[in-house]
Amino acid sequence: MRAVMATTPRLELAAPPAVPGTPILELKGISKTFPGVKALDDVSFAVWPGEVHMLLGENGAGKSSLMKVLCGAYQADAGEYFHNGEKVEIRSPADARRFGIAVIFQEFSLVPYLDVAQNIFLGREFPSRIPGLLDRRRLYREAQKVLDLIGLEVDPRTKVHQLGVAQQQMVEIGKALSQDARILVMDEPTAALSDRETERLFEVMRQLQAKGVALVYISHRMAEVFALGDRITVLRDGKLVGRALPGETSPDELVRMMVGRNVDMSYPRRFATEPGEVVLETKGLSSSNGIRDIDLKVRAGEIVGLCGLVGSGRTEVARAIFGADAVTAGEVRIFGKQRTGGPDAAAFAGVGLIPESRKAEGLALIRTVSDNLAVAGLPKLFPNMMFSPGKARRSAQELIQRLRIATPSPNQSVAVLSGGNQQKVVIGKWLAAGTRLFIFDEPTRGIDVGAKSEIFALIDQLVAEGAAVLMISSEQAEIVHVCDRAYVMRGKRIVGELGRADLSEENIVRMGMHDE
Amino acid sequence: MSDHALSSAPGSARARIPSVPGVAVALVGLSVLFAVASPGFLTAGNLSNILVQSVILLLLALPMTLIIMTEGLDLSMGAVLTLASLVLALIVVATQSLMLGLAGALCVGLAFGLTNGWLVASLGIPPFVATLGTLGAAQGLALIVSDGQSVVGIPRFVRLVYSGEVAGIPNPILIGAGFYALFHVLLYHTRFGTYICALGGNREALTLAGVKWKRLLISVYMLGGAMAGVAALLMTARMNAGHPTAAIGMEFDAIAAVALGGTSFEKGNGWIFGTLMGVLTVGVLRNGLNLMAVPSSVQVACIGVLVIFALFLDGMRSKKS
Repeated sequence: MRAVMATTPRLELAAPPAVPGTPILELKGISKTFPGVKALDDVSFAVWPGEVHMLLGENGAGKSSLMKVLCGAYQADAGEYFHNGEKVEIRSPADARRFGIAVIFQEFSLVPYLDVAQNIFLGREFPSRIPGLLDRRRLYREAQKVLDLIGLEVDPRTKVHQLGVAQQQMVEIGKALSQDARILVMDEPTAALSDRETERLFEVMRQLQAKGVALVYISHRMAEVFALGDRITVLRDGKLVGRALPGETSPDELVRMMVGRNVDMSYPRRFATEPGEVVLETKGLSSSNGIRDIDLKVRAGEIVGLCGLVGSGRTEVARAIFGADAVTAGEVRIFGKQRTGGPDAAAFAGVGLIPESRKAEGLALIRTVSDNLAVAGLPKLFPNMMFSPGKARRSAQELIQRLRIATPSPNQSVAVLSGGNQQKVVIGKWLAAGTRLFIFDEPTRGIDVGAKSEIFALIDQLVAEGAAVLMISSEQAEIVHVCDRAYVMRGKRIVGELGRADLSEENIVRMGMHDE
Repeated sequence: MSDHALSSAPGSARARIPSVPGVAVALVGLSVLFAVASPGFLTAGNLSNILVQSVILLLLALPMTLIIMTEGLDLSMGAVLTLASLVLALIVVATQSLMLGLAGALCVGLAFGLTNGWLVASLGIPPFVATLGTLGAAQGLALIVSDGQSVVGIPRFVRLVYSGEVAGIPNPILIGAGFYALFHVLLYHTRFGTYICALGGNREALTLAGVKWKRLLISVYMLGGAMAGVAALLMTARMNAGHPTAAIGMEFDAIAAVALGGTSFEKGNGWIFGTLMGVLTVGVLRNGLNLMAVPSSVQVACIGVLVIFALFLDGMRSKKS
């Protein structure tokens, strides 16, 4: 990815007016709350015609929420909108479109079995002279114009599912451009693009700027921020934490603004002094899911962090280690022995995966606490294939006490437990299976603050008893708080390792972004 | 970009045809098999017979294709058809008016379609469960309105709808061809059709495009109900009676025909010509097995095997590409 960095084209962008006139769009005091989370807290934001406004922030800082508020997909709980200085309401995507707001989403808003042209003009079809029917010739003619503009060489009749990711992203861009937008919002548009397409996109952006289109650009690449941006806004924890002009700030200053999230954790960790034997080792590991050349080690008694931005390949590493994705090169060694076979073999070898989506992948929601606790340990608890309810219950009761799972009885359905207690059940399930290597993927997602430190206490207890832990987290502060070491990923590779002494949020963010 | 180049012929419906779909293999294979095994199969009379007998199934399979494309399902179609057929028979016998009878059948169909759509779109009940519930309701109502008895005394002009012909072509074939053309235009040349694809493929995309998709989804189920009403007319005319168990289980054949035709249960991947071929395949299979005096229960099993076979072929092909 460093090579991509070097070739990121620098653009000669028209300078914004020294004293800009009226912003084309201004949001004042926007707040948006979801159950348990304040996604946006009194955020004000303005964009002027002909400028590129960079929006920065860590994962979960509120960039995407702000974008969805902008385009009418979310309705703000509080706040005002001004369009060319006039107070307006944006209550739906149709409203936003009327004000010329178009959004290029990162998660694709394309329909797989419609063709390129139908996707570009979805919701804006051209009626034919015969009432009720569509003018297909005009559709393909207009679509071809859009494709020419963005330089995408595909037949507009190609079904979208047949395109590659980069081409789909270009279609997405074409879809937004075809709306004659006055305000174009882009969420990491270059993440999936090759250099050539990136260059083409920047060229289109320059043309749009010259026409006075305002561009809001979300990026995780520091180089882009300085190469393209006329103005920078930084969000953190749903709050506006800084505004800057590229000429008057530095990457370091921006990183400092982005980090420093408040994480209240009352539980102090006892850091390992003498790590034990190597429990997990990967050498040159590549998988069918795209990760490449992963070298990492986890020792007994250690909590090792795996961080990086969403999409940098962290979960894919966990899946490859666990045998859920096919290993295409390199090897995974567990207790010194090469791992072969699928997840069942990994589980038997003592590896436990605590997945990100507890409800979808970690638990059988309608079953009881006792059933869920037994499921991974079945081969160990019942070696001769005969299930014994009494034995399962005793094992469950022991785990409930040991992990302090708050449940009225082992026969309670796990669906009604709190997030923190559900997480404990997932951990307990692997304890019953005799797991020695725990891989946690976002262990505290959707868990309230109090339960978080309890989960960390539990993880600490696991390593104190000699287990090894690999922990994936988007919460840098948590990694810094609990890990002995951490690996930083970017673009499906490990780009650095931080020891306890160097482990800071600044260093993680710096390594995870394209910052030299 | 050449690696993504398509073999599609621009501008034609041909662009949608995957290379030799499983259903075409099944249709041709079965036809050849029966032509060899049974001398009566390959006669003009019998072939016309297959077409005529396939029309009622086609009328259900066409809207079923659209419903399945929205990642939905309508299990109530057979029962709604039965109820609509009884209502039509009762009205026609009482009033001697075909129009009033047809209006009654359509009302029954639309009401059940609206209920199905409301349960699925507004209440978010899974289509399988929602339409299983309305299936029971329609079946029960069918027994109540008929008191468990067949409704007889259908006037001749109703029978003519099924047995009559125009310019030597039997009425059912004309009706089937008309509705096939209608659905083709609906799916490929209207907004409605485009949005059906998007309903199954990416509802979020519709929301972001400012389309109110709930109403749309409800109208897809209503279309299914209305088509069951139309099919009820042909069914009553064909049987010369309204019978309380006439079309029980016909939704199975309709879903089988759609699945045979290569319409996927996911992501809005559907193909209306495939459904036509699927319906004909089921028709050919039933006809051929009848000629060979295979009992009806075995025929149902054969359809099941055929569906699995065709989907297996399609699965193999999509894996390769």
